[in-house]
Amino acid sequence: MKIKILTLAIAVSSLAFTLSAQAHAPSEHMKGAEKPDCAAMKNMDHSKMDMQDPVMQAMMKQCMQGMQHDEASASDGHEQSERGGHHSDEKSAEHKH
Amino acid sequence: MAVRNFLSCAKYLLVAAGITGVGGLAFLYSGIYPMGADVPHNALTYWGLETLRERSIAQAASDIKVPKDLDSAERLLKGGADYNDMCAGCHLQPDKTQTDFTLGLYPAPPNLSSNGSEHGHDDEGEYAQQRQFWIIKHGIKASGMPAWAPGHDDERIWNMVAFLKRLPGLSSEQYQILTARGENSEGHGH
Ligand code: HEC
Ligand SMILES: [Cu+2]
Repeated sequence: MKIKILTLAIAVSSLAFTLSAQAHAPSEHMKGAEKPDCAAMKNMDHSKMDMQDPVMQAMMKQCMQGMQHDEASASDGHEQSERGGHHSDEKSAEHKH
Repeated sequence: MAVRNFLSCAKYLLVAAGITGVGGLAFLYSGIYPMGADVPHNALTYWGLETLRERSIAQAASDIKVPKDLDSAERLLKGGADYNDMCAGCHLQPDKTQTDFTLGLYPAPPNLSSNGSEHGHDDEGEYAQQRQFWIIKHGIKASGMPAWAPGHDDERIWNMVAFLKRLPGLSSEQYQILTARGENSEGHGH
């Protein structure tokens, strides 16, 4: 009896552990994902924006998905969105490493 | 004569060491040291633990090879979204000063959206990145900091290191845009 309970406890806890590890795939985090609030970008001080700055480039990627296609992300990004049937090319949260 | 002096001196040292050892054990078993997270360590214990932690991390992390392309927009976006999902509850974000975790954990999780110098070491040089990578990957014993290696590969951890490098200067609007996983509804051209 005791052994049964122990076995069950180990089984349940290792199951919980495996599930929690799997829950860490980036795509899992997509549930209830927040949208970038790009309207805020319009209010930022444009004179201080530096297009060489990675933070600036990253914000452009998030907010100007239709306009901006650089060489690096355009190639694998497009396949991605076709395969996934999902316009996540710039953000590519589902990229496999 | 010199030999006899030396012997008796050694004997005293041995006895002193024995007393210290027994005293230490008695202290451990007595249960008087407060273990609750709501009572801070005394200065000696604090110093000892901090030295132990920093020496151990320095020893383990100094050989880690830092990727050359940490300053990329792609890394910022991937690392930012992960940071927001997994770390901000403990390590805060721009314009947030506390959560239940920062109030209740001891040692308290440092505010990673403020500069490193505000929590005790500067962010200059490669070691800052090696150290952060190691800490994120392996976690820190007997603190709230988990090891993230299970379920997260090195690339993903480097993305978070890349994000941490820029996090202290971000405004809350910039933070929101960088960390949102959802799609922008505006400007869709496909
Ligand atoms: C449950 C709370 C908690 C979570 C979640 C958490 N941490 Fe921590 N973290 C801590 C605590 C507590 C410390 C301080 C440990 C110490 O001082 O010994 C710490 C320390 C760190 C440090 C070292 C800070 C410094 O400069 O001294 C880094 C870097 C870090 N965490 C990154 C992360 C990242 C990245 C994530 C998300 C993947 C994360 N942490 C998630 C609690 C947490
Ligand atoms: Cu995760």
